Amino acid sequence: MTRTFSGDGIYIAQRDFQQILLRGKGDGRFAETVNGEISLLPPKDNLRMISNENFLFAKQSFDQWSLICLKNKDDEELSKIINTMNSNDELLASDCSYGQVYFEFSGDKMKDYLNKLTHFDFRSKKFPPLTIAQTLIARIDCTIYNLEDKYLITCNKSYEDYFKKRLQDTIDL
Amino acid sequence: MLLIKCPYCGERDQSEFTNGGEAHVTRPKNPELETDRGWAEYVFIRSNPKGIYYERWVHSHGCKKWFNAVRNTSTDEILLSYKIGETPPPIKKFQNRLKSPSGEPDVGSGNFAVKKP
Amino acid sequence: MTDNKIYFKFDGKKYGGNKGDTIASALLRNNVKLVGRSFKYHRPRGIYTCGIEEPNALVQIINEHNEPNVRATVKKIYEGMVVKSQNRWPSLKRDFGSVNNLLSPIFSAGFYYKTFMGPKGFWKNLYEPLIRRTAGLGKPPREFKSKSTHLHHNVDILIVGGGLSGLLAAKKLAGTNKDVLLIERENELGGILKNSNKVKSINDQEALEWLEKTERLLKNSANIKILKNTTVTTYNYSNHLTAIEDRLVGIEPDNKKPELILHKIRTENTILANGHIERFLSFRNNDLPGVMLAASFEKYVQRYGVVPDNNPVIFTNNSSTFSLLKLLIDRNCMPKAYVDVRDVKKIERETLDLLEAHNIPFYPKSEVEGCDGNNEIKKISLRTKKNKIIKIKASMLCVSGGINPDIHLFTQSKGLVKWDEKILTFKPEKSFQKTITLGSVSGNFIFKKIIDEVSQKLNFIDGANDLDLKIEVNGSEEFNIKEIWETKNNKKSLWSKSFIDLQNDVTTKDLTQAIKEGFDRIEHLKRFTTNSMGTDQGKISSINALGIVSKLLKKSVSEVGTTTYRPPYNPVSFSAIAGRSTYEFYDPERKTPIHPWHLKHNAVFEDVGQWKRPWYYKKFENETMNEAVQRESKQVRESAGILDGSTLGKIEIKGKDALEFVNMMYTNSFTKMSPMSAKYALMLGEDGMVKDDGIVCKINDNHFITTTTSGGAANVLSHMEEFAQTEWPNLNVYLNSITEQFATFNISGPKSRIILSRVFNNIDFSNHKFPYMTFNTFDYLNYKVRILRASFTGEKGYEIYVPPKYALTLWERIFYYSRDVDLVPYGTETMHLLRAEKGYIIVGQETDGTVTPLDLNLNWMIGKKKKDFIGKRSLTRSDIIKGDRKQLVGLIPLDKSYGIEEGQHVIEDKNIPSQIDKPIKMLGHVTSSYFSPTLNHSIAMALIKGGNRKIGSQIYVSTSNMNVIPVEVVKPNFLDPENKRLLS
Repeated sequence: MTRTFSGDGIYIAQRDFQQILLRGKGDGRFAETVNGEISLLPPKDNLRMISNENFLFAKQSFDQWSLICLKNKDDEELSKIINTMNSNDELLASDCSYGQVYFEFSGDKMKDYLNKLTHFDFRSKKFPPLTIAQTLIARIDCTIYNLEDKYLITCNKSYEDYFKKRLQDTIDL
Repeated sequence: MLLIKCPYCGERDQSEFTNGGEAHVTRPKNPELETDRGWAEYVFIRSNPKGIYYERWVHSHGCKKWFNAVRNTSTDEILLSYKIGETPPPIKKFQNRLKSPSGEPDVGSGNFAVKKP
Repeated sequence: MTDNKIYFKFDGKKYGGNKGDTIASALLRNNVKLVGRSFKYHRPRGIYTCGIEEPNALVQIINEHNEPNVRATVKKIYEGMVVKSQNRWPSLKRDFGSVNNLLSPIFSAGFYYKTFMGPKGFWKNLYEPLIRRTAGLGKPPREFKSKSTHLHHNVDILIVGGGLSGLLAAKKLAGTNKDVLLIERENELGGILKNSNKVKSINDQEALEWLEKTERLLKNSANIKILKNTTVTTYNYSNHLTAIEDRLVGIEPDNKKPELILHKIRTENTILANGHIERFLSFRNNDLPGVMLAASFEKYVQRYGVVPDNNPVIFTNNSSTFSLLKLLIDRNCMPKAYVDVRDVKKIERETLDLLEAHNIPFYPKSEVEGCDGNNEIKKISLRTKKNKIIKIKASMLCVSGGINPDIHLFTQSKGLVKWDEKILTFKPEKSFQKTITLGSVSGNFIFKKIIDEVSQKLNFIDGANDLDLKIEVNGSEEFNIKEIWETKNNKKSLWSKSFIDLQNDVTTKDLTQAIKEGFDRIEHLKRFTTNSMGTDQGKISSINALGIVSKLLKKSVSEVGTTTYRPPYNPVSFSAIAGRSTYEFYDPERKTPIHPWHLKHNAVFEDVGQWKRPWYYKKFENETMNEAVQRESKQVRESAGILDGSTLGKIEIKGKDALEFVNMMYTNSFTKMSPMSAKYALMLGEDGMVKDDGIVCKINDNHFITTTTSGGAANVLSHMEEFAQTEWPNLNVYLNSITEQFATFNISGPKSRIILSRVFNNIDFSNHKFPYMTFNTFDYLNYKVRILRASFTGEKGYEIYVPPKYALTLWERIFYYSRDVDLVPYGTETMHLLRAEKGYIIVGQETDGTVTPLDLNLNWMIGKKKKDFIGKRSLTRSDIIKGDRKQLVGLIPLDKSYGIEEGQHVIEDKNIPSQIDKPIKMLGHVTSSYFSPTLNHSIAMALIKGGNRKIGSQIYVSTSNMNVIPVEVVKPNFLDPENKRLLS
């Protein structure tokens, strides 16, 4: 399933993760519910990302969080987590596990490579490690998770073919 | 391409944003009590000045949040952006850097590019 | 090959050039002076300059890209390059169009506007084709083959220009914590250091030695990036600039690699160090091949090692030509004459000394009156200070009319410029953005002052290096110039012309005439005469035009003003602008999880937004669209059909105030609706017009899932978010798009229940247990599916929502269980037909932003008891409740064999007059039309004025061949109005 692309100083691997999109105030009850399910408190600072071996947890804006499960859970377990979270009526948890695709970018030329596809400013003074950004890459909406030596970039699954063709084309040219 | 500051994501390229027209146009509390004219004021009528303008933007290809901005419509400079719910800064706070009697900016446009020695 | 030459062809003849030669330098090396014909008069033209400012030497490159209007003075040659001159027929030397020159009285200023006014029809049929053949430049390529790419940069400081000032600025910033991008137009850094001998030494090193050391230093500085062969073309707001890089300098394009890269640069500060451009002078026949700008001549010698002519005449009004004089003398090429407009007292000592020492014929306070020759200069005629005409035999004339700071980019940035009486030109006065100008672009023509200027202007940057430098120059330090724009000439014949714009063939006489006709404002004058409107934008001549006009108007140049400088600085190829957004990447494509199956089953796709949706499926090779749609539609009504509806937008809404929010967003009322039921819902704008429709599923009062149209998904979510965030931030409600999280299948038809009962054999699909407009979530295999009983065809139908991971398997499973049921996959066209039979609307087809729910007779969808919802108040505006608004009706042709065309006008009158002299009264238009295989006749829907009152009457629909079809107006519901099929 995993497909990789590589070129001069750029390495891209497609990964399979599960993901939950959380909306809410992020206050006590919200954090409690979330922590109860995944034993991780949601990050408080906007655009911050925390992670452990199981999860990447990022605050995308004042009322939205993205939770990526790095270790695959079976569907039943995941839907149980989502249902329990949703039982808090001030919180909306939507499963987007199979509606997103995930690409891991690494290599010493990854920033130059990505700047062929996006205007985004990757300089660490503007995009520090362990933060996230939502922007346009290859003219489609993407989320970038800055893991310091690599980026995890996600986009909607319907764009998967198009996005991969653009990635390959950019390597070829 | 303007550089626009999203209050949540920071400075980003204009291509990530969509303009949402004039800001601080509040929806009437009781629409059914409005006259046709009063309602039309809310739905259709906007101030459209040349100069300092409060307008709404949405970071449509980013965090998808709406915010307000102060823009000088004669120079396209975005002078400030602020969150929804925050009090708009008074218009006097902003100085129109381009002034001329005929309305055209005295800087950088055609005949008006020239200053008498 | 036996030598190091690069061979290329110009107009069929083979020439050899050196590596690094431009087309122009290679042609001059081969003593070719005639390279093109002019735009309007087809006059012979040569190489005028040595760079981007070239007005004349435009050529066409014949290769894969067939690039027209290439500047011969910029484009480097490659082995086997085929170059053609432009604007000539049948050949460059004998050009038929040059009779235009003799007809020139009719081609004067504004000739397009005046000459080709009438009679009616002549423009389209005669003038335009004629003008297009004789005027104009090169031929555009027929096909778009180049693969250009884009590259974005985010930097702290951008330096435009790698000449002396740019290098000094970069040196000052080397090793600091600023990210610096240095952009150079030529293939080598150095600018003036490479182009002339003006700078003798820097820090006691030869200029070129210093250049080499400095370049090495910059290359080793991690914070500095250098781009060569790159021209900055545009300076936008917010310090955003674009530049074009030529990747194939001296290489033939091969279509596998990009030829051009469009760099998009966002910077904190911009340093403009893009130098100056020498200007020309107007005199009789100043366009003749052999006339060249003085600094360009110098550049050919210094950069390319080509001496365009061994004994030229030099004509100047300023001190900058000293270096050319010295260069020629150093090479033992003695100028035939040195003609200076200035009085001998004003001419700098160094020049006078050189002239005297080498005994060069010297004419102070004199001017060139004109030059003569057929296809190139043979004689140059001078007017001496005593008003005496002297003729000199020479084949080249080097002209300098002064130096213009290249303020193009600075004014694009909205900077303010000011006329400087001392150097007789415009120079930057005040920046509008964070823009710094350095060196000659700032009007500083004195080398020794440049170091101070750079230090002073860049000192604000933290950690900037000190520049401890000393510059020695050849000749005088001071710049001295005398005002002159045109010399007095003795007109001899129609052939004699004194040009102000070489590319657009505008003469100084045209300026005079335009002013006489009242075009005395410079922006008007520019458009009337087309002065400086060529691809070179008058780089060497536009200031001269201002000078001439100021004299004619008896005003100062500052009062006349300058025209607006607009991007791009230099012509930009469309391929560079398009980048990779062409052909397969024209628009991002979205595909559903079932896409591979559709491909396998010969689906023909339709673009719906960015989605690829099956339009219809070809059952056999030659099946037409019409045949396929008729077959699919019939089969759905007779057995069952399945549609991939995954593209439908889906939005999950949750929160304590979700019910209140959904009630506000849609016209319907959801308060009394029971949990796990669904409603067809309408969304309006505040203006009361239909914006979108969809199905709202209520899980409970705090949790809803809604669907939107495929194309409207993003807009609907943003519309909802807008109100949630800006109007009612206090409502506790959250929205997520879950469009991608579920694939959706619509199964409908009389046998749909049988199919579903087989696939999901543990679910009871009976009407009693699973009534219309209810839904539930079920465990199926190892995942969950949500099934909704709903229909867009009027048949009994179900919508299945399944995670995309399992979608394709489930889709195939459904077909497996339907082997004997005749399940047909159908596309969007059949869907449109089926819903039209039921009179269901499609937002964007029956509506166009001017249609209210009342116009569609959807009053039943409006929650009457609701106090408020978006758009409610607008529905009672006086204009909306008028009875004669356009309303949706059905149309059936009286003769049922006729087909109605979509988009045709609906009219009351049977007769269309053969001569239409006043508008025909139009009732409305046909919004949808199909041939119904079930009813066996045409059906159509139309929006017509007062339609509700016209039910039962007879009206007419126009056809594309100027006929009318009589139709009957009916209620827009053609099939099963009692909904027996739907509810069975």
